[in-house]
Amino acid sequence: MSISDRFAELAHLRDALGAEEADPTRIVMEKILSPTEAMIAGRPTILVGTNNYLGLTFDPTVLAAASAALHEQGSGTTGSRMANGSFACHAALERSFADFYGVPSAMVFSTGYQTNLGLLMGILRPGDKVVLDSHSHACIYDGCRISGADFLAFRHNDPEDLRKRLRRLGDDAKGALVITEGLYSMLGDTAPLAELCAIAKEYGAWFMVDEAHSFGVYGERGLGLCEEAGILDQVDFITGTFSKSLASLGGFCVSRHPELQLLRYGSRPYIFTASPSPASIGAAAAALEAIRTRPELKANLWANATRLHDGLSAAGYELAAPVSPVIAVRVPSREEGARIWNALMEHGVYVNLVLPPAAPEGAALLRCSLSAAHSFDQIDAIIAAFKTVAPEVATGGAQSTAAQ
Amino acid sequence: MSHDTQDLEQEILDVLFERLSKFPVKSGTLTADTSLVADMSLDSVNMMELLMEVEDTFDVSFPLNMMANVDTVQNLADQIKLLVEKKS
Ligand SMILES: Cc1ncc(COP(=O)(O)O)c(C=O)c1O
Repeated sequence: MSISDRFAELAHLRDALGAEEADPTRIVMEKILSPTEAMIAGRPTILVGTNNYLGLTFDPTVLAAASAALHEQGSGTTGSRMANGSFACHAALERSFADFYGVPSAMVFSTGYQTNLGLLMGILRPGDKVVLDSHSHACIYDGCRISGADFLAFRHNDPEDLRKRLRRLGDDAKGALVITEGLYSMLGDTAPLAELCAIAKEYGAWFMVDEAHSFGVYGERGLGLCEEAGILDQVDFITGTFSKSLASLGGFCVSRHPELQLLRYGSRPYIFTASPSPASIGAAAAALEAIRTRPELKANLWANATRLHDGLSAAGYELAAPVSPVIAVRVPSREEGARIWNALMEHGVYVNLVLPPAAPEGAALLRCSLSAAHSFDQIDAIIAAFKTVAPEVATGGAQSTAAQ
Repeated sequence: MSHDTQDLEQEILDVLFERLSKFPVKSGTLTADTSLVADMSLDSVNMMELLMEVEDTFDVSFPLNMMANVDTVQNLADQIKLLVEKKS
């Protein structure tokens, strides 16, 4: 394929979206009013399509830490830690993550994407075997692909399917890497981590969990779904991002193996890119402190999630998973998805429109993601907008509720 | 080519044709020379589903990275055949 063929292919993809008025690239937030509100097309709009789970992007402690770091350490690091040196803040944040998890090793990367790329490209070599959940994020697939390892998918969240695929690997299952996420960002469902981990260990495989959407959101202390599943002493690698509950930009990997630190000598996405800016590190450090010391943030998030989940299912919408901070509304077709998405925008509500192949299992999803910073009034306004834009769904729901 | 390996190849092609019959083909007919991406626009999710089904049908491990060597239905059948033969 030539470059001009590829441009034509991309233009075709864009036009397919435009025809349905479903092009997410047209959304521009003209002014950010708060973690949960922005001006879009001149209209104040409730944001329920972010990953701002704890609502910390305007938190005074986070802003103060980012601003102090900016003024004291400058606007950028201008280079990589290997070539140009670490700032004290990078090392300090790594210590904070290691302490928070009670593990010997933590590494900070420049984005969540590069974290998974950095870990996988660092630990895998051609011929190594990986078995990953089929719904894994693109950066997990990319890390596997670039590493040259042999990677196979198991059916989403299906422990018996994982077992079958490990069994098929025979002797190679020992030392293979099993990869899963915690909370899945599109359907809002969670991995059965205890079962998956037990099976991986039974076969002598390593176990890695990406907690991008579950860090700060699950677990008594906010460590994520591994904490909630009680497997912190068994999971080998946990990755996460600063771009969601930590309200910043960057990523982390923690491990109970001290050897993780060796990746500093042989992980290209760690070595060949600039280290995170001081402001990004400052914000993430303050947000981490908020997760440690302000459990009410998580409590508010879950109260909001429960309220929206209850409201939308009472209105007759089909929801993809039990309550979680990501609530995905299933719609039967791309066209209906695009229509409802646009109508919600006109009612001042922004959700994420997810079309195949990003929407698993066909059709379309309207992805809502909750924030601790939403008020109950905002949640109620979101539910009201959903009821207005699809009256036929809402009536169906009211009837079935009345019939019960 | 022995009778057995021809049978195996035909069996694999039959399974692939059956699994692929739900996808439209640009030229209209699905043959062993049909390109999975250029003629059928299978996206990454369709491709992965297809491989998981193939793995279960023939009880083999088919790493996704092996798809780098696959363009047509025939290429895919050849790769699967190699895996099945290696197993026995
Ligand atoms: C599961 C998962 N991993 C990694 C990432 C990448 O994180 P980042 O946005 O920090 O690059 C995301 C989000 O985009 C994600 O959903």
